Amino acid sequence: MPVVVSDIRNLADEEVMQLVGDGNPRAFELLYDRHGGASFSLAYRMVGNRVTAEDITQEAFLSIWRSRLRYDRARGSVRTWVLGIVHNRAIDALRRGAVHDRRRETLEGVEERHEARERTEVEAARNEEARSVRTALDALPEEQRRTIELAYFAGFSHSQIAELLDEPIGTVKGRMRLGLDKLRRQLSEGHAAGGFA
Amino acid sequence: MSARDHAAYQDEVGAYLLGALTDLEVQAFERHMAHCPNCRDEVERLRPAADSLPRAVEQLEAPPTLKTALMEVVEQEAEERTGESARPARRPRRRFMPLLRPVLVAGALVLGAAAGFGVARLSEEEPQEPRTLAAKVDQSRIPDASGRLVVQGQGDNGAILRVQGMPSLQPDQVYQAWVLRDGAIVPQPTFDVGDTGGGAVAIPDNLSGAQEVLVTRERRGGARAPTEEPILAVRL
Repeated sequence: MPVVVSDIRNLADEEVMQLVGDGNPRAFELLYDRHGGASFSLAYRMVGNRVTAEDITQEAFLSIWRSRLRYDRARGSVRTWVLGIVHNRAIDALRRGAVHDRRRETLEGVEERHEARERTEVEAARNEEARSVRTALDALPEEQRRTIELAYFAGFSHSQIAELLDEPIGTVKGRMRLGLDKLRRQLSEGHAAGGFA
Repeated sequence: MSARDHAAYQDEVGAYLLGALTDLEVQAFERHMAHCPNCRDEVERLRPAADSLPRAVEQLEAPPTLKTALMEVVEQEAEERTGESARPARRPRRRFMPLLRPVLVAGALVLGAAAGFGVARLSEEEPQEPRTLAAKVDQSRIPDASGRLVVQGQGDNGAILRVQGMPSLQPDQVYQAWVLRDGAIVPQPTFDVGDTGGGAVAIPDNLSGAQEVLVTRERRGGARAPTEEPILAVRL
């Protein structure tokens, strides 16, 4: 049965994605309303400037719209799927060089670089979740956390990280895997304790 | 598959999930994973940890102009797909008033006078109303293109540049906007156009005191400075 557009805001993300795949602009707008902020935040965290972050977010959402990319439930939530697309776009941008050239100048700057901005209530609520995950991340051994952040947020390849940290590639790969395993356990314990809801 | 191969690939599970493999390495890993249930299981076991990482980011509000620009493109393309308007048509008041003054652009960004530019101001609204400014295009390079800039307020809230009839670019190319202010060229976002050459991009910079908004063709990812003379310009 076709979905009534006036009811669209009551739809679950998975149903919204079906309408986006059918070329419904109102569904696309809703998808952006729900996940545009998180997407921009991730892009900004990775590239460190607003203009490039806007570029990446726009490219990611237009790729969803134009190619009718099909959401695969097996890959996780719609939010995870959208953020994965944004992450890939940001890595592409980082590896094209311009941003990395600046980041190489100071590795310390890679890990935290935010402009001071006013926060909205929505941002504050989402930052609660961010703090919870951040706590789990911070509980990792320093070398594992640093390796994960250089890979995921700064977009460096394992061989680049090995060069930057002057460590063997095997060590870097091992830290990534061990760090993710420990993070998984931290998050599971947090869920069990109600800390990562 | 040998045990040695598996051990080598199993070490790459973390790098794979973190996006730290090269494209070739990803292809090799996925080929291996297709035949290796152990690596598949390990990827799925660790995937929730990798998927949690974007949620560790400080949450910011995206600029409103970003949504406006996105929806401009989406609405336009939806209309093109269906052949009918997906929203009520907006009819801006238009007072066609040709601008006769020649456009002077600083330094190396002077646009060729022989290029046949035409420029017009489409509307002059009340001070706080959005203003729509027509773009002049280099007809020798983009003969079918047109563009207009919708400036919010006095330009201190940014603007939306909408283009039509722009030619398709090579896969490694992208259009990039620029703001010209007092001889300095400030990079703005890049953008793509749809199959029919239509597109839009938000100009986040404060345009108060700026002289022009420009567009060039650049390598995907954008440039810090223009690598060609502008193909499109809007005088503010």
